[in-house]
Amino acid sequence: MKARQWIGTVALTAYLAVIVVPLVWVLISSLKTSPEIFASPWSLPAKPKFENYAAAWNEAGLAKYFWNSVLVTVGSLAALIPIGAMASYIFARYPFRGSKLLYAIFLGGMMFPNFLVLAPLTDLLRRLGLTESLVGLGIVYVAFSLSFTVFVLTGFFQSVPTELEEAAVLDGCGHLMVYRKIMLPLARPGLIVAAIFNGLGLWNEFNLALVLANSESIRTLPIGLANLTMARQYQADWGSVFAALVIVMLPAFVVYWRYRERIYEAMLAGAVKG
Amino acid sequence: MRNTKGRNAFIFAFLSPAVLIYAVFLVWPLLQSFQMSMYRWRGVSRNRKFIGAENFNNLFQDPVFWKSLQNTGTLLVVAGIATIALGVLLAHLTDGDGAVRKFARAIYLFPQVISLVAVALIWQFQLNPKYGLVTDMLFRLGLPVRDPGIVRDPRYAFSAIAVAFVWHALGFFVLLFSAGLKQISGEIKEASALDGSEGWHRFRHVTWPLLWSVKRTAITYLLIHILTVFALVFVMTEGGPDRGTETIVSYLYEQIAKNGQYGYASALAVVVFGVSMVASLAVLAYFRKDPTAGARA
Amino acid sequence: MKFVVALASIALAAGLAGCNSGSTPEAKETTTPAAGGKLTGALEVQAFQGGYGIDFYQASAKQFEKQHPDLKITVEGGPRVWESLTPRFANGNPPDLTFPGWGMKHWDLAEEDQLVDLGPALDGKAAEGEGTWRDTFDPQILALGQLKGVQYTLPYYVMIYGWWYDPEVFKKNGWTVPKTYSELLTLSDKIKKKGMAPITFQGKYPYYMIDGMLLPWAQSIGGIDAVNAAQNLEEGAWNSPAMLQATERIVELKQKGFFQEGATSMSHTEAQQEFVQGKAAMVPCGSWLFSEMKKTMPATAKMEYFLPPFIDGGKGDPTAVLIGIEPWMVPTEAKNKEAAIELFKYMTSLSVAKKFVQEKGTLMAIKGSDDGELPDVLKVPSKTLRESKAVYSVQFRHWYPTLSTELENGLTSLLNGQISAKEFCDRAEAAADKVRKDPNITKHKV
Repeated sequence: MKARQWIGTVALTAYLAVIVVPLVWVLISSLKTSPEIFASPWSLPAKPKFENYAAAWNEAGLAKYFWNSVLVTVGSLAALIPIGAMASYIFARYPFRGSKLLYAIFLGGMMFPNFLVLAPLTDLLRRLGLTESLVGLGIVYVAFSLSFTVFVLTGFFQSVPTELEEAAVLDGCGHLMVYRKIMLPLARPGLIVAAIFNGLGLWNEFNLALVLANSESIRTLPIGLANLTMARQYQADWGSVFAALVIVMLPAFVVYWRYRERIYEAMLAGAVKG
Repeated sequence: MRNTKGRNAFIFAFLSPAVLIYAVFLVWPLLQSFQMSMYRWRGVSRNRKFIGAENFNNLFQDPVFWKSLQNTGTLLVVAGIATIALGVLLAHLTDGDGAVRKFARAIYLFPQVISLVAVALIWQFQLNPKYGLVTDMLFRLGLPVRDPGIVRDPRYAFSAIAVAFVWHALGFFVLLFSAGLKQISGEIKEASALDGSEGWHRFRHVTWPLLWSVKRTAITYLLIHILTVFALVFVMTEGGPDRGTETIVSYLYEQIAKNGQYGYASALAVVVFGVSMVASLAVLAYFRKDPTAGARA
Repeated sequence: MKFVVALASIALAAGLAGCNSGSTPEAKETTTPAAGGKLTGALEVQAFQGGYGIDFYQASAKQFEKQHPDLKITVEGGPRVWESLTPRFANGNPPDLTFPGWGMKHWDLAEEDQLVDLGPALDGKAAEGEGTWRDTFDPQILALGQLKGVQYTLPYYVMIYGWWYDPEVFKKNGWTVPKTYSELLTLSDKIKKKGMAPITFQGKYPYYMIDGMLLPWAQSIGGIDAVNAAQNLEEGAWNSPAMLQATERIVELKQKGFFQEGATSMSHTEAQQEFVQGKAAMVPCGSWLFSEMKKTMPATAKMEYFLPPFIDGGKGDPTAVLIGIEPWMVPTEAKNKEAAIELFKYMTSLSVAKKFVQEKGTLMAIKGSDDGELPDVLKVPSKTLRESKAVYSVQFRHWYPTLSTELENGLTSLLNGQISAKEFCDRAEAAADKVRKDPNITKHKV
């Protein structure tokens, strides 16, 4: 028994090293000069080169992209979660003729490589006068995130016991009242999970933003990172590429760190039933 | 006992925003690209020509298409087995008290929350033949990884993609199986108290069957996310060496970006869509009945 | 790829408006700006952000705005700018002037009538001095932007392909630049004994080796005709003796261990970084190398250009230089074509071009732009080009991308020892044959 536990700890430590070492390595490399990076993977910088961060943040314009990302992520979530929750509630609790099919159509959206619809999508946005604006990108984000959101939230609403709802109806609550007073509070963990997962997904979204938000003023962070990586590759400034990587990863880590207990609990409570 | 008053109006009001946005901004463009699979279109103007099933005929005779389909399937199986096996194992290992376990639970989702572009860059750098950390370690272990370099070596490139994918996705599976184990911990105790099984035997005959709903979620998730390896392939290997890591989506991207064959790419996408749908339905069908329902009742 | 070209005539006529050809009624309505016309409105420029950045174009636009206060110019770009430009072309809202970069399929644009014929504008007055705008360009380079005689794109800078070495390192070791392949073998042996890698290359992007070794050596052996026959998809040209022997030279260098370890998986900047840090003695690359690497070059490092070593006894031209351009264009559906053309005319004027040469360290397609004192790194490329009896250019990559992809894949397998030189050439010929037999692919001629 002792030996087994010991082996377990070793295996677990190895797993943690596999996660942490690359990240720490990126962090250290972000403080090196290009020649230092090429000299040896293990070496520490002679002098930490914080200029790499300044180069990424200011020169390469990551600062602006950062706020664009915040804006479009938060804005999309603010629309997505209510809209997704309402639809999920119907799918979970109000079966009607064809509702199963409609649900399946919603889930089908997860099965499609999204850059294939880019050409018709840009045309559509142009007709609506929404090209080259964060609003257009945001609406598209809502549409493309609905599949996953409906998938997760329908599971949550299904897991709420029906007794509560029946009692409320007996008390004379209408449909809307039941939803607002009973279902929404009970499904709160689910809403948070949906918001976190979508938030992370949108924060990192690349394909759609690449084409739908390409003018300088509305570019988002992943595009900024990719542009920086490639532009810097043309100029061979590797340190600032690593620095940009850190800048992109950091907010995702912070959000995850802040909500990790909640993600864990929520998974435990609902998503597993999926 | 059902509240029927105003039910239809309520359904309509609650569904319409989602249906509207989804239909206009996703389904409609999707149908348009389906239609495109029957056209020849270079994507740089409005000129397009209807050619019926020609794109599909060409596709089925295209050896690279079959190769990329095969690679995608292999990746699904290899990465699937690896993530599920490691996920279950690590879920057991991370269960319990102690600083290491607590720390593990806190960070194992880190790779999951990073943008795939960033994951790909991290691995690309780590596998670099000159300054890559992983290359250096493997070289010290005596593997010939420095020439031509892991991502260009037909012996290693495919594994490199699989490893980067597993690194990115594994945390989610550990989480999933941890949650599953917690959920059935009572049932496991009962069952093992009854037949006195433990260790591997208990896992094989009690725990594993009880995890059925988690397995379903895991496989569904894999099916959806295997398509995202595109970002990894795109950054790390560009489908190389010599198509060695070409996946269905990277080939689709090549048709658009390099060859400007939008119609052909759409035909590819229709096939991808069809295959994914069939696979998902198969998973749903396979897991439709709770195999443990009888035992529980 | 034959398309119904319904709007061709209208588009063409619209494209001509604003140019002083005087042959269409539209042209008469617009004043020629060179004669004092007023440029107004917004002008959007989208440019590829490569080794030379986009700052020079932005600065030029600022200068041009000063001359035309009613004009509001925006210059934007990115390293993959073509990805966002393609759907804009498809949807009819392209920018006014664009340099879309190497990823844009600009011949598709030309064939689909998405680009203005710039011929009439070229026949107009130049921005500076006497003569026409056309006279200011090198005609051979101008021809690279033509399809069936129509000038769809214009060149800006000119890239010279070749090899690079560090003269200091060579001097210190008593090495001399290899003029021939046999000298290369002898020299590489010496370099290797010193513990240095003789040659590194950008293996992640095999076209660098195609441009730096395969085609120059095919030219050495069979002359420019051998290369152009292959580009023109003539039967048997891709597995001709010249191609095969050129391929065998690559295999020989590989087998002798003259390529740097790991180069096959290096990106362009990674391999070039190895070179500037003195880990490899030579690297094939275009004339943009210095500008790409200057930020991360050790202060002591130097670089100097030389022509790819000539294959001994070949019937090709030892002075022939491989050149390339990255074209600029005006979309048919641009809203401010007149101003776009005038801005580009200004950018290609001799004084601006000379400034570009100085600031960015590259040669230009504009005659006389390399007169006077040149940046050090340009002196040898410029001299080589002036002394060359012939130039040639790689055009098939943009014409037939599937052929190009197959060549790159084959080359990687060749370097990995998975296929022989003969098999490589046969694969290339098979890919060329497929293109040749596909009636939907428009055929081009060098």
